Order: sequence, then C-alpha cells, then structure tokens
Amino acid sequence: MTGEVLRLLLLALQLGFLALLYVILFGFARSLLRDLRSAEVTQMASQSGIGRLAVLESPDDEPPAGSSIALGPINSIGRNVNSTIFVEDDFVSGSHAMLTFRGRSWFIEDQGSTNGTYVNGHRIDRPVALSFGDELTIGRVRMRLER
Amino acid sequence: MQAVSRPVELRMLLPLVVLVPLGFAVTNIARTDVLDPGPMGLAIGYVALVIGAHLALRLVGNRGDQLLLPAAAAIGAVGIVMLNRLPQSLFGTDVFGVELGMATTQLLWFAVGLTAMVAVATLYRDDGILRHYKYSWALAGALLLVITFLFGREVNGARLWIYIGPVGFQPGEAIKIVLVVFIAAYLAEKRALLSEASARIGPIRIPPLPYLLPMVAIFVIVMLIVVVSRDLGTALLFLGIFLTMLFVATGRRSYVLLGLLLFVVGSFVAYNLFGHVRVRVDNWIDPFADPSGTGYQTVQALYAFGRGGLFGEGLGQGLPSISGRLPIPALPTDFIFAAVAEELGLIGAFALLALAMVLVFRGLRTAMLARDDFSAMLAVGLTVSLGLQTLIIAAGNVKLVPLTGITFPFVSYGGSSLLASFVVVGLLLAISHRSAVDAAVEGRGP
Repeated sequence: MTGEVLRLLLLALQLGFLALLYVILFGFARSLLRDLRSAEVTQMASQSGIGRLAVLESPDDEPPAGSSIALGPINSIGRNVNSTIFVEDDFVSGSHAMLTFRGRSWFIEDQGSTNGTYVNGHRIDRPVALSFGDELTIGRVRMRLER
Repeated sequence: MQAVSRPVELRMLLPLVVLVPLGFAVTNIARTDVLDPGPMGLAIGYVALVIGAHLALRLVGNRGDQLLLPAAAAIGAVGIVMLNRLPQSLFGTDVFGVELGMATTQLLWFAVGLTAMVAVATLYRDDGILRHYKYSWALAGALLLVITFLFGREVNGARLWIYIGPVGFQPGEAIKIVLVVFIAAYLAEKRALLSEASARIGPIRIPPLPYLLPMVAIFVIVMLIVVVSRDLGTALLFLGIFLTMLFVATGRRSYVLLGLLLFVVGSFVAYNLFGHVRVRVDNWIDPFADPSGTGYQTVQALYAFGRGGLFGEGLGQGLPSISGRLPIPALPTDFIFAAVAEELGLIGAFALLALAMVLVFRGLRTAMLARDDFSAMLAVGLTVSLGLQTLIIAAGNVKLVPLTGITFPFVSYGGSSLLASFVVVGLLLAISHRSAVDAAVEGRGP
C-alpha cells in the first residue's frame, strides 16, 4: 500500500516538474508578447530614420558633443549656415562634404574642402560607401554614423 | 557604474528556486524508492549561482536584455537535474586529489561560466579591441587550432583537447567565438562594398571577389583544420554561422546558394576521402545495419525517444539508471537530448527547444536594436552559433542529420562548452546594454 502511495506521489511530483517547466515557458511567452506590443519596438518599426550621426567630439560645441543628429537622404555638411548639418569649426570649409543615402548604403563625398574629410582616420579622395559604426572626421569634429 | 533594477529577469528566475530542488527530489525518490529528497547541496548551489549572477548584473548597472540570462538558466536547470540523476562516476574529475562527481564538476563550470558572463558584460565597453585587431584574432584562433591539432589529446578519434596540467579544454569552443568576431568585423567594414558592387555574367551575379577573398581565405583555413582534425559537427556549425552572417550583411541569396553548393561538393569529397565521415553517414542512413557496433548509440537513442513518447517515462525513471551503467556511452555529452526526451517525453523536449528559441529570439532582437554594423553582426553571429548548435545536435539525436559530436548548449556535460556559451550571453548582454544606454541618451525608448 505504501508503495502505491509513493508511486502516486512520485507521479504527482513528476507532473509538477513538467508543469513548472511550462509555467516558466508561458512566463517567457508573456514577456515576449508584452515586449512586442511595447512602445519601444513599435516606435522602432515606425521610425522612418535611415540613420543618425552621433557627435563624439566637437571643440566649439556646434553641433554639441554627445548629441545625435537625425539624417535625411541628402545632407550637406559645412560652415555655411544653410548646410543641413551646420558645423561651427575653424577647420571646416563652407561647403565641406556631402553625406547621401543611395540605394541601400550611405556615401560620403568631399566637396573640395581645404582640410579634407576623413573616414575612420583615412582621408578620402572619392565618394566612399559607409557602414554603420564608421567614424567621420570633419575639421576637428568627430562623428559616428549610427542606425 | 550605477546599480539598476532588473525586475523582469528576477521574476523569470524565481521559478527555478522551486524547479531545480524539485527535479533533484523527484529523481532521488524514483531512484531509491523511499520518500527522501536526497542531498540538496548542488540544487541550492545552482539556484544561488544564478541569482548571484542576476544580483551582480544589477550591481554593475547592466541595462541589457533581461530575458537572456533566465532563458539560459532555465535550459541549464534541466541540464543539471539530468546530470545529477546519472551515475556520477562516469565523468568525474580529480581536482587536487579530491574526487568530484559529474554534477559537481558541472556546477563548478557553471560558476566559472556565470562569472565570465558578468565579467564580459561589464568589461566589454569599447568594441575597438575586437574590431580593429580582427586579423590578429583570426590568426590567434587559427594558431590555437594548429596547436590543438599538433599537441592535442585524441578522444574518440578526434583531436579536440588541450591539457594544461589536469585541466583540459576544447579550443574549438573559443575559436567559434573568435571566428564570429572576425567575420563580424570584416563584414561591418566591407558591408557596403559587398552588397553594392557586383559584376554580372549573364543572369548570374558574381560576388565582388577581391573584397570577399581575405575572409573566405581565413574561413577555408579554419575549415580545413577542423575537417582534418575530424571535428565534423564544428565544421558544419562554422559553415552555417558563416553563411548566415554573409546573408544578413549583404542580403544576397546568391552568396548563400554558392555556399550551399560548396557544402554539397565538400560533403561529397569528405565522404569519399575520410573513413570516419563514411561511417557517420552510413549510420545515419541505416543505423540498424550494425546495431551493436557502429550504429549502437544511434539505435539506443532512437529507442530512448520511442520509450519516452509524448509524456516521457517520468523524471528519474528512464533506462539510463539501470544497474549504474549507461546504454549510451556518450549520454551526458552528445546524447543528453535523448535522455531528456526519454524521461520528460516530447513535451519536455519541446520545452527545452522552446527555451532555446527564446534565447535566439532575444539574441536577434539585440542585433536588431544595435546601433552599428559591427555590434549587429556580432550579435547575429553569436546568436546563430547558439541556435544552430542546438539545432544540429538535437537533429543528430533524432537521426534527422548525421550525428556529430557537438554539445547541447547549457545542457550537455562539458566545461569548455558551458564557458563559451556563457561568454556568448555576456557579449549579447553587453551589446544590448550599449543600445539601451544610447537610446536613453537620445530620449527615445526606455
């Protein structure tokens, strides 16, 4: 008789183990669903932005260091006040560089600036395709292309 | 460093406080036939380790994904329960004269792995170390492989082990991570070129070979060494990771097709060239041709799945317990999935795979939210390495693909695998932490 009881108890415990495993699984499912519905992801999905420029270093603080600039498909960079990305720095030319989104990639092209445009520390002499995470140096301003 | 709260992670970890001791008790009752939960030291140790890792992540202020650790810990919980329930002397280790059982050894590796996870998640702040020295990393990985091949200890026909004193480890696990780092760094740098520029011959798009070549060259070298050292599972895993990352970076199906074509040709060559490949494949096609010889393990695994059925034989009541011997010699490592399926049935095996899917899902989410190409590619590669490894070994167990000797992440017995898997989780935590911090700075997102 005790053997019978023990067997039943064991079965109950074994089923309890499986049940608990599924409680955990449903906990995950609930968290995943909640996350999918959350503002963060919907915001991300509807986010029309094709990229951003994070300003890493900017001695004259225009654009301010630590800020992040949302990009359109065509961006002129320079000291000219009509530039899409206005950079106040003595080493930047009026019309310094063009940052454009074509097809699936970003490209940067120097506009004949005095001090040149640098990608990851290398001066460019023709249009260069960029990857997200690449670093641009324009004058003394360092920026990083981000998603 | 500012302490943060990780409420979701804690909530998801709490059920383990019951699950692991319950599993230990059930297996002990089933084994001894008396109402005695048995020693609980290891169960309490496991729970303490996992909660400890959670507290450590809070303390160092990690804002990374909160479901990664619970998913890994839940998979690991099933693993430690299964390993504790098998005869302990099988895979014990001798550390400084003290004989440690299999589960105890595994628990020690959990401690090492979780510590490494927290350390990686905290210390990996600047991706420059990984990004800029990519060729050095690749070279170091290849060298490690060569050293293993030349001086390694041979186990079951494959040279995968390096011993330093009494502690052995499998460099293949470390190389997996190094290879992902290299491919991610290379693709992040050349992504634009690889997806834009391409020549055409008729309707077929030819990849821009000069840009692909350095990566392909290193990859081929790694593959050659792996294949020559007879580690086929790892070779398959590497190829899968490589092709997935290439596809994610470029969006080009032609690359994947080309890769698969190479795979078919390579498999054909390997089948005709290497005896052990032929044995594996023949076993896969018909294990019953030699059921007590080369097909023995596969046949026993199939029986195990059959006995398990839908609900399983009951935890602790599967055949592995009989007279202290295992019907499948490699049960704790290669065939742990078969053991789980035997005792917990299809229901339990499914739960295990679903937990692995949660891990993969969150890993890919981390990649999606990453702000730069390198982080995104790294997260994709690492996630795929875990997911694909799970898939390959589970499929091998059920005879869907030829069996290969790789581990089931977080479940199989084995220190190198456990450590590498937790380092992967640590890197994912670090990447998602960075995206969360960046998003918070811009004031969009949490």
